[in-house]
Order: sequence, then C-alpha cells, then structure tokens
Amino acid sequence: MTENNKTLPRGFERSGEGQSMHYNPKGGQRAQPQISFRGGMRGRGMGQAVEKPKSAGKTLARLVTYFGKAKNMLVILFVLVVLVTLSALLAPTVQGEAIDFITEHEWNSLYISLIILGAVYICNILFSLLQSLYAARLSQFIVRLMRHDLFRKIDNLSIKYLDTHSNGDIMSRMTNDIENVSTTVSQSLGSLISGILTVVGTVAIMFYHCWQLTLITLVSVILTVIVTNFMSKAMRKVYRKRSAALGRLNGQSEEMITGYRSIVAYNKQSDVTEEFNEASDELTRVSMRAEILGGSMGPIMNCISNISFVIVAAFGGYFAYTGLITIGTISMFIIYAKQFSRPINEIAQLYGSIQTAVAGAERVFALIDEPDEDRSGDIIPESVVGEVSFRNVNFSYTEERRVLHDFNLEVKPGEKIALVGATGSGKTTVVNFMMRFYDVDSGEILVDGVNIKDINRDELRRSIAIVLQDTVLFSDTIRNNIKYANPEADDDEMIRAAEMSNSRSFIEKLPEGYDTFLKQAGAGLSHGQRQLLAIARAVLRNPAILILDEATSSVDTRTEKNIQDAMVKLMKNRTSLIIAHRLSTVRDADKIVVMDAGRVVEMGNHEELLERRGKYYTLYMTQFAGNQI
Amino acid sequence: MLKYLKKYWFFCVAAALFMVGEVSMDLYQPDLMADIVDNGVLKGDINLIISVGVRMIISVILGGICGIMCGVFANLAAQRFGNDVRKDLFGKIMSLSFEETDKISTGSLVTRLTNDVTQVQNTVMMSVRGFVRNTVMFVGGIFMLYRQSPRFALIAACGLPFIIIAVVFFLKKTSPLFAIVQRKLDGINNVMQEDVKGARVVKAYVKEEYELDRFDKANGELCDINLRVHTLLAFMGPCMNIVLNICIVTVILVGGFTFREGGDMTPGRIMAAITYLAQILHGVTFMANIFQTFTRARASADRINEVLRSEAVILDGVCGELPERLGEVEFRDVSFSYAGAPGNRVLDNVSFRVHRGETFAIIGATGSGKSSLVNLIPRFYDALEGEVLVDGVNVKDYPLTELRARIAIVLQKAELYQRPIADNIRWGRGDADPWEIKSAAEIAQADDFICNTEYGYNTLVTEDGHSLSGGQKQRISIARAVIKKCNIMIFDDSTSALDLHTEAELYRTLGERMGDITKIIIAQRIASIKGADRIAVLNNGRIEAVGSHSELMESSELYRDIYNSQLKEGGDINDGE
Repeated sequence: MTENNKTLPRGFERSGEGQSMHYNPKGGQRAQPQISFRGGMRGRGMGQAVEKPKSAGKTLARLVTYFGKAKNMLVILFVLVVLVTLSALLAPTVQGEAIDFITEHEWNSLYISLIILGAVYICNILFSLLQSLYAARLSQFIVRLMRHDLFRKIDNLSIKYLDTHSNGDIMSRMTNDIENVSTTVSQSLGSLISGILTVVGTVAIMFYHCWQLTLITLVSVILTVIVTNFMSKAMRKVYRKRSAALGRLNGQSEEMITGYRSIVAYNKQSDVTEEFNEASDELTRVSMRAEILGGSMGPIMNCISNISFVIVAAFGGYFAYTGLITIGTISMFIIYAKQFSRPINEIAQLYGSIQTAVAGAERVFALIDEPDEDRSGDIIPESVVGEVSFRNVNFSYTEERRVLHDFNLEVKPGEKIALVGATGSGKTTVVNFMMRFYDVDSGEILVDGVNIKDINRDELRRSIAIVLQDTVLFSDTIRNNIKYANPEADDDEMIRAAEMSNSRSFIEKLPEGYDTFLKQAGAGLSHGQRQLLAIARAVLRNPAILILDEATSSVDTRTEKNIQDAMVKLMKNRTSLIIAHRLSTVRDADKIVVMDAGRVVEMGNHEELLERRGKYYTLYMTQFAGNQI
Repeated sequence: MLKYLKKYWFFCVAAALFMVGEVSMDLYQPDLMADIVDNGVLKGDINLIISVGVRMIISVILGGICGIMCGVFANLAAQRFGNDVRKDLFGKIMSLSFEETDKISTGSLVTRLTNDVTQVQNTVMMSVRGFVRNTVMFVGGIFMLYRQSPRFALIAACGLPFIIIAVVFFLKKTSPLFAIVQRKLDGINNVMQEDVKGARVVKAYVKEEYELDRFDKANGELCDINLRVHTLLAFMGPCMNIVLNICIVTVILVGGFTFREGGDMTPGRIMAAITYLAQILHGVTFMANIFQTFTRARASADRINEVLRSEAVILDGVCGELPERLGEVEFRDVSFSYAGAPGNRVLDNVSFRVHRGETFAIIGATGSGKSSLVNLIPRFYDALEGEVLVDGVNVKDYPLTELRARIAIVLQKAELYQRPIADNIRWGRGDADPWEIKSAAEIAQADDFICNTEYGYNTLVTEDGHSLSGGQKQRISIARAVIKKCNIMIFDDSTSALDLHTEAELYRTLGERMGDITKIIIAQRIASIKGADRIAVLNNGRIEAVGSHSELMESSELYRDIYNSQLKEGGDINDGE
C-alpha cells in the first residue's frame, strides 16, 4: 500500500475505506411487503430483517412510562383481550359438546349447548370489535403524543445539531420509527397477550379433558415451533441480503434518474444501464432465494399442522375406541391443536417486530433526549438601540479548523456594515453569532452593551431581522407568510410592508392576491419574488438590527434592482450587517470589513480602502470589477 | 404488461397446477378425517384409523410438496418477470429524450422504477398463487360440502351473499379514506420538512410555538382520519364472523336433525362441514384482499406502460464522414419552443457563429433563453426551425454519441454520484489516470479543498452531495467536464456559487492549460464574462447585440443597463486597467 502511495499524486494517498455509504434509507426499510394470503401461516414480519435495540430494557421501561399516560385505555384493552381470548377458548369446547350430544342423541341438551355456543360467539364478536376499536384509539393516541413530543424537540434543536445531522435521518424518525412503535403497541402487544393466554388456556382445557392426548398434541406442536424457528432464522439471513440488494438498486435508480442530464451529456447511458442490469440481476437472484424459502414456509407449516392433526385423530380414535374419551373431545382437540400452534408461531414472529419497534423507539428517544437550545439569559431589554460589538471572538466548528480568530468589531446604532471576503472567510459565522444560532468559543458579543448570552434569547431574536440567501417560505398563504414576522399586524401594515419591499405589484397581480396559497413552499414563484417576500417579512418585523445575506444567485436585472431598492429601504435607520455581494451595497456601506481566513484584515470605507491598495483593492478588482477572465 | 409474463407462461401454468394439487390435498383432509371418525372411531375399527391415517399423512406430504413447487414456479415467473420489466424500463428511461423526461418528473420516474415494479411483481406472484388457491378452495370447498350433504351446501350458499356484501361495503368505504390518509401524511411530513430546512428562519422569528401548533393541527388531522379508517376496519372482521358463526350453528343444528331423522348424516360429516365452511368463507376474504391489490397494481402497471410506450424523439443522425474536431459552433436562424408550451418561442431566429478557440459569453435575464440555447448544441432538445451546426455539420446528422463526445457541458445543477470524488471526476473519461484527475481538479480550482478533506480524492460524495458545499460541487462537476478534453466547453451558469476571484482563477487556469478550446459561457454576472472575446446579449429569445465588453458598452443600451445595475460607478477603477 505504502509502496503505491509514493507514486500517486497528493490527495490520492488516503484510502477511502471506512466511510459509510448512505444509501437512501427508503429502499431498505420497506423491503418486504409481505402479503399474507395463507391465513396465519405466514404472518406479518416473518423473515423481515430484524434490528436489535442497543439497550432494550431501558427503552422498554421508558415506553411503559410513556404509555402510563394512557393507563385507563391500556387497562380496558387488557381486559378486552382477556375476554376475547376466553370466549375464543370456550367456543370449541361447546362445539365439541354439541357434536357429542348429536352422537348420543340428547336433543334437548343439543339445543341448550347451541344456544350457549351462539352466546359465546356473540360475546367473542362483541369483545373483539371493542378490542380493535380500543387498539386503534390507543395507537393513535400514542402516536399523536410521540409525534408531538418529537416535533417539539425538533423545533427546539440547536442549529448546530441540525447542521451536523442528516435531515433525512431526523425526519425518518418521525415517519418510520414512530409508526413502527405504534403498530407494535396496538397490534403486536395485543396478540402477544392473547397468544400467551390462548396457549396457557388451551393446554389447561386439554389437560382437563384428556392428559394423554394433550401430551401427544404438545409433542407435535413443539415440533412445529422448532421447524418454524429454524426456518425463520435461515430466512432472516436471506431477507437481510435481499433488503441490502434492494436498497442498492433503489439508491442507484434514484441517483441515475435524477442525474440523467449528466449521463446523457457524457454518453454514459449504456454503461449506466449495464450497471443497473447487474444490480437488478443480483436483486432477482437474492430475492428468488428469499422468496422461495419464504414461500415454502407456508406449505411446510401446513404439512406439519396436518400431520399433527392426523396424530391427534389417530390417537384420539384409539382412545375413543378404548372409551377414554368421546368423539366430541376429538373434535375439540383438533380445533385446540390448531388454535394452540398458531399463537406460538405468532409469538416467535412478534418477538422480531417488537425488537424492531424497540429499536425505533430507542432512536426516537435518543432524539428527544438531545439538549434543547440554550435558553439561559433573562435580561429583557426595554428597547434595542442597535449598538453591536464583537470583542476578541474566537470560534471553530471543528477542532482542527478555526473559523474566526480574535474577531473585533464595533458597530454604532444605525451603521451599515458590509462584510466582504472570499468564501470560507467566516462571514456567515459572524451572522450566526448575532442570532445565537451558534455560540462563541471565547470572547463576547454585546448588544447595547449587554452580552447577548445574558439577554433573553427570544427577545434578542425578536429585535433582529434576518434575510437569508436561501429564501425560506412556508406552505401557506402569502398573507401568512408575510405576517410570519408579526401575526398581530393588520392588513394595512402587511400591505405597507409589501409595498416597501416592492412585492406589492406582483402579489396583487396574482389571481388570488394575498390569499394565494404557496404550494411546496413557494415553488410557483420565481427566485426573485421569493426573496422580495422574505424582505417584506423582515420589513413587517421592524427590527432595530438587520442582517442581510445578499443572494448571489440568479435573478434577472429588473428583479435584482427591485430587491436592491427594497433592501436599501429596509436598511434605513437600522443597524445593518450585510454579507455583501453587490457593488452598490459595498460602496454605500458606512464601514467595510474585509475578512480573510477568519480574521479582519482591513476595515474602513470604500475610498479609504481603495487608497490603501491592500486586500480590499485586490478583492474589489477581481470580485466586483471582474478584471480577469 | 402481460407480454412480459408470456415468456414465462410455462412457470405460471406449472405453478397453477401445483397449486391445484396442494389445494385438492387440503380439501381431501377433512373428508378423510370424517372417515376416521365415522368408520374408525365410532365403529371401533383401529385398523381403519391407521390405514386412513397413513393415507392422510401421504396426502399431506404430497400437498406440501405441491405447495413448495408452486412457490418455486410462481417465484421463478414473478421474479424474472419483474427483472425484465425493471431492466426494460430503465433502458427505456435512459433512451428517452429530455422532452419526455420533462413531462414525467424524475421523482415520478424513480417511483415507477422501484415501487411500481415491485407492486406489479408482487401482484403477479400473488395472483398466480393466491388467486388460484382461493378459487380452487372456494369451488372445491362447495363441492366437498355438497358431498357431505346438499343441505350444508345450501347453508353456505345462503351465507355467501352476506359475506360478499360485507366485503364490498368495507372496500368501498375505506378505499377513498386511504387517499385522504396519504394526503394528511404528506401534510405532516411537509410541516416537518419545512421546519427542519427552514430552522434558521423559524428561530430568527421566534416561531417555535407557532410551528408546534401548526404541526399539532396536521398531526391531529392525520390521527383523526387514521382513527376513522381503523374504526371502520374494526367492524369488518366481526361482521364476517357473525355470518360464519351463524352458518356453523346452523350446520350443527341441521346436521343434528338429519342425523336424528336417520337421514344420510354422521357426526364426522358435521365436523368436516364446519372445517369446509371456514375454508370457503375465509377464501372470500382473501379474494377481497387480492382484488384490492389488483386495483393498486393496475395503477402501477399503467404508470409503467406510460413510460414503456413513450418513444424518444431525438434519434441518431446519419452522416457519411465525420468532420474533424475543430470546435466550431454555429446557429442559423434557430427558433425553439418547448413541447409543453408550443406557442411560446423561447428562442426566436437566433444566428451566431462561435469560432475555434473563441470565448463566447451569453448574458441575459432569467427566462431569456440562455440555457435553452446551449441545450440545443448537444441535442438535449431539437431546434424547431433553423440549424445548429457543430464543426460545420448539422447536429441532427451526427450519431448522438459522436456529437456528445465533442462537447463538454457543465450543467447548472451539479449532478454528482455516490462514489469517491476521484471516480466522479473520472466519470468524464473512464481511462483517466490519477495525475490527469488531479490536473483537472487543479484547473477547476478543486484540488485544494479536495486535498484538505480527510480522505482526499477518495472521499465519498454522499447522498445528493450533502457533504459538499454548492461551490465545491460545481467545481467537481467542472473538473469532470475538463477531463473529458473536448474542443468545445459549455458552462451553463455553472460557476454561480463560486466567488469571482475563484471564478477568474478557474478561467485563467483553463486558458493556460487547455490551450485554444472553444468556450461558451452563460453567466448572470457581467463581471465574470467581461473578458470574453465576444458577448451576446439575449433578451426574450432574441440576440439583441453581440460584441466585446467595450463595444457593447458603446452600442447596447440593454447591456449598459445590466452593467449599471451590477457594477454601478465601477468605471473609474476599470479605467486603471
């Protein structure tokens, strides 16, 4: 390896091993849409890749306290499950009796037992209806609660966390994990309880009627369980392989289709198709193995359960012949044997889905346990004048690379400060501090002479308006998007804000005006229009301090002029910090701060700095005047 | 869709036959059991019990084998069928022109390739097995019931309509609700996505509580509709069970009466009848499930077919002899409009000629047609009128691969793939060695930041390139175009995320190292293209003026307007150049 490295150019010597591929998690997760058409033989979750939770006990305990909030519902549900199970257990006994009465020609008793049977059936139907209804309510209740708690957390996470964690991962906890937990709670838990009850109850009843036949039945049932277990283990392995192959294929499809233009531009269609076909063949190979194994499960189980049926019938027949039991008892045993093996299989499968759910709950709780944004600081300033000072500020996102070195800046109320510098020079970081999206490592930032860490965070933010490069709009009406800054504002104020931001004319041209609903966060609007709306929002906030991150991206000339005018109007009489990309902004600024690698290298107004012929001069010549090509 | 299955008709038929075998054995069981009870147990004939028992076990094993074989064949058919469809679909997508892929969004294409194919494949699997199984079970069950006693069959016949009515009722009631559930689910996902992506704005405006309320509202709506669905579904099982249970009680009653009157009836038959009844009635429920998936699968199949049936409009051209690769591009009276909006001329009578080695820039407002114009050169779209020529030959006369091999285009949106950075660059030319990759990255001003990452050129580009900044992605995609070594390079606003200094360095290095290749640059900022040999000002699909920066400053008012808005009062400094 080291031999090779010597001959490679710089940048190639480090191997890329050990990085994890982040394939689209959508693919792997819902890998196995099981369709069960063979009754209880091939139930939910069988063979699915099971995820093991890290500390199941702790998470379970926590889940229990969670459900504590729905204690009454849980108790009712439990009682219902018991009732359903009992009535289901009783039915075959009564049915067996009825058949015995027929054989023994006891007709009056037959009628009575049929009435009892009907009553048992009605009870069973009624209770199981109630059980389903309660289970649905319970699961929705819990899901609602968990989603609420999780969202509250997401809402209060620090920007630092959001910046350093994949958004998709955060969101999948809301969508996949919570769903898993709720289905398990409402369905699997019920089946688990009823399964255990059924097994215990059935064995008890069978023992009561004929212990010899019970033992024989048990042997055959245990055989079933062993085979099931063995097979599901084998299946889990192939299904996991299949999930991986499917994930790979889905990831590939998504990448290739969204990157289709580049594929065409580089004449790569056939290469890519070949790659895809390979992945597709691989998936087919693996899933064929998985599906055939999975598909054999049903017939094999069927086979075993029928063999046990024969065993029960044969021995039952023998015992009936010797007079140990009656015909009705055989009929009863046949039903019980079936009823008894089903929950055992189910429990084995439930174990898997419960594990997956606990792992999901673990992830949800892990996010809920993330610390909230720092809320310390309780000074509520009466009115913010807008004096800002940075004193000896140091900051680094990661240990090795420092973003800001000993940054100092004094801003008088109403001053316009332009921050200029190459990408990565630390301009955005300065802005992040003002809003307390990030906190400084050392040094302090004062607003009106008070350290911002001591100011109530919400109040601090309320006194600042920010216009970001990437405009954020919400799927709501234009009216509500502008009023986002100040819901108490009346329509007149809102229209004035639209007017000031030069967005009034285009809004009023829309057929529904201010009531236009922005679908997909304003996808129908042009980039420039979106930015004007963001400015209108900032106008309505009427802040003492303004932070502008000027957009570099594509807007046409007229819109750009509009935006610029709007920004100038907005900056009037406010302390403004601008990450400047436009020449006019830079020239009109009271003070230009030239940043380079996290340090302030020059400061002054446009003329002063040009005269100095230093960093600003070079930057100006290349960045704004564009003197090279 | 069926023609894909035709190839595997043998597997399908075999699977169906084996399924018939399995079900027959299943149906045979209760009959044998009745025999054991009536003739063995009741008459005390232990030998009969054993011999029938052995027969039973043999039939059970036979049934099991049939079942497994059915699974094997059904799988062979379904998996291969799915694989064929998937491959054809992907191949088709890759062969389509942009015009068609524009019509069906890329997101939708991905779903069609993944979810829809799986859906159809599962349905094939399910129909081969489930459909056959339940039909045979149903018909056979009624027949066997009839054999036990015609009266039993009559009871089942009375119960059946109720079951069917119940099934239809619940399907009708719930299926529209599922669409609403999906919509509400999208609703909460939407709120969450907006909040995660727009966290800075939410926080800046201190809107945490407001957002929580918004989420709670969406959450409540989703839970309510879910509850409605589950409540409805909760009634389905009990309704079916009522019918089944009434039938069972009736069977026992009727069976008992017949037995009492000395009719043709035995307790064993009553027991068998109960088993058959349960089998038949459950069969109906499963059929309902199958029909439900069928409708969903039909929608999927339609979506797949739509893609498979579309034909690429841009096809290889024929030309006798390929011209030398010079690097010349010419537009002759070219007009263009998108298929989706035929009346709206995006380009109107555009003519110009770019000479070998020239740097030709195009500037204009958004929507003025800049991207559409360069898209005509590698034939991403075809011109409506007029001709586009590359190296003197109409682009329509080139084989597509040859044409596209002559042009390196850097797209507006940098599309990178989940593989190491080095491989992403090598994508431009498969046989490039590490030195060439590094050199290309140097030209693209990407080498520095790449070397500064932990794994250097072996750094994986993660999903959608989230680990890289916009400017870094653009630079990698430029390096990828550079390594292609074409005489024509097109930059479609592909340096927008670079600061002007880096951008200037990029073009300088490119000029130094690549010699006299032809460059066509689309830009928003005048500063980035001021030094171009010639600049074309595009306005509403027409070329307003062409010339160098200083010429245009003199002659074009529009250009001056753009200049003034971007570089207002910058003149004094430029005079010092």
